Amino acid sequence: MTSLYLYPAWLRLWHWINALLFLALIASGVSMHYAGADWLMPFATARVVHNTAGILLTIAWIGFVVTNARSENARHYRVRFRTLIGDLIAQTRYYMIGIFRLEPHPFHVTEAMKFNTLQQLSYLGVMYGLMPILLISGWAFLYSVYLPETLFGLGSVWVVAMTHVVVSYLLALFLLVHMYIITTGETVFSNLRAMITGWHRETDPPRPETPASAPRETP
Amino acid sequence: MNASRDRVARQGAQLHPDQSRPASTTGPASTTVRAVRLGWSLALWLCLFAFGASAAPAPEAIAEPVGDALDIDRAEASADRHACLRCHAMSTLAYRDPDDGEIVDLSIDREGLAHSVHGELACIDCHRRSYRRYPHPNRPAPGDLDCIGCHEDDDHDLSRGWIDIDAEFKRSVHAVSDAPEALGFSCHSCHDPHRFRPAVVGEPIARIVRNHNEVCLSCHMQLVGPSSTSHDWLPNRDAHWTSVRCVDCHTPVAVFAHHEILPAEDSEQNCVSCHSADPQLLARLYQFRSEEDIARRGLLAKAVFNEAYVVGMSKSPALDRLSLVIMGLMVLLLAAHGLGRYLARRANRRA
Repeated sequence: MTSLYLYPAWLRLWHWINALLFLALIASGVSMHYAGADWLMPFATARVVHNTAGILLTIAWIGFVVTNARSENARHYRVRFRTLIGDLIAQTRYYMIGIFRLEPHPFHVTEAMKFNTLQQLSYLGVMYGLMPILLISGWAFLYSVYLPETLFGLGSVWVVAMTHVVVSYLLALFLLVHMYIITTGETVFSNLRAMITGWHRETDPPRPETPASAPRETP
Repeated sequence: MNASRDRVARQGAQLHPDQSRPASTTGPASTTVRAVRLGWSLALWLCLFAFGASAAPAPEAIAEPVGDALDIDRAEASADRHACLRCHAMSTLAYRDPDDGEIVDLSIDREGLAHSVHGELACIDCHRRSYRRYPHPNRPAPGDLDCIGCHEDDDHDLSRGWIDIDAEFKRSVHAVSDAPEALGFSCHSCHDPHRFRPAVVGEPIARIVRNHNEVCLSCHMQLVGPSSTSHDWLPNRDAHWTSVRCVDCHTPVAVFAHHEILPAEDSEQNCVSCHSADPQLLARLYQFRSEEDIARRGLLAKAVFNEAYVVGMSKSPALDRLSLVIMGLMVLLLAAHGLGRYLARRANRRA
């Protein structure tokens, strides 16, 4: 059994805070969006929960961006453009075909690179694309009185509201796929366990790509 | 005083304190009543002469301590109001117009004036020229009592300029109608300058709606009478009347022009203008409630407690349907993928 310490404490804490805030935001957001049904959160509660979770998510996001930029974790987000197309095809083929044939995973986790290309692109898109749009549109919704009356020729409140809703749906979709994909590790729960303990464990010895990425033994 | 004010047939009753303008009453009075009124009018004319001779500011008003120029201006304005209100605060002050025989109400509600937006002005700021002396002229001089004349320079206080309001009013059914009731219609016909107080951000919306609608109902009260069939087409008619301002439907929805009152046949009857995926009115309401929220709670607390949410604001049925279908398909796809993995592993174990 070899193990890689891939998820430092700050990252795990941030991840699980994010997860809780996402759930709170989805529950309260749905309760406000579809207000009226009995099984939903009361509107007044949902309003405060949604706003508070949104503020905390903003702080968490800023914390992530700053810490990620200042720590070694940033290297996992550097896209390898030279092999991008080939990696994407191999990864997609694995999820569509190879996984059912029990083929070995085309990507091997190392300390130098813990994300495969699909993970990398989706996390980059979420953390540096959708999340800032979601947060900015949320704040713009709160302080819409300071916006111009129209944006792109449309009423600014409507533009902000629709942007917020569309990005919310996309992030909910991401969450759905994310929660499924973590079950595709060596066992159904191995990836989940890694995000709790910080240690990524593999039975098969990984093929080292560089000397720096050689795995170290679990203490 | 202001002879261009709406002429009302006085019935000896005080106006309701919430009314923006006196409710007009019509119909022939009996001979006895007319005689009594005439008697009152003559008596009041005598009073006017008596007070007019001694219309100097009251000693207590001019003795107010003042510290700077602003205080001096306020003291002078207060003294001026005091002098005028010695006569005009009398609730029965009126005279009979010799041309048409109608009673012209000249009384000013002291409390209403004090709470109005003009409450700190001197009377002669608006009633200029010969109103400085007594007896007053029968008709206001041209240019007197002109809202735009005073307000055209202070449009920074409004989201839109007074010139826009003037232009809207000139397109209004009240301005273009040939109906005899609309003759001589002016700003004062709706906004009694001695009582008018604009809605302030932070006031409860229900009160704002009520105050707004009372302006309209002061003339159109018959529309909301118990036997009225007006607005029958409207679902939950009474709920609309207490929650929506008349001008929200009776002005153009697409543009913000609350002084361009539309004729009934051109007014908004399309439910989806409010209850729709492209809710211009909801957006306007949301913006108003947001301003109100910030004014009442402050910037930071608004971020947590934001009470401005308007249900339906961010709803687009087509977008919701599309998103839910995509999410549903994704769940099915992931479930199928998971099932495929499970079956593949089971087959592998058996092999």
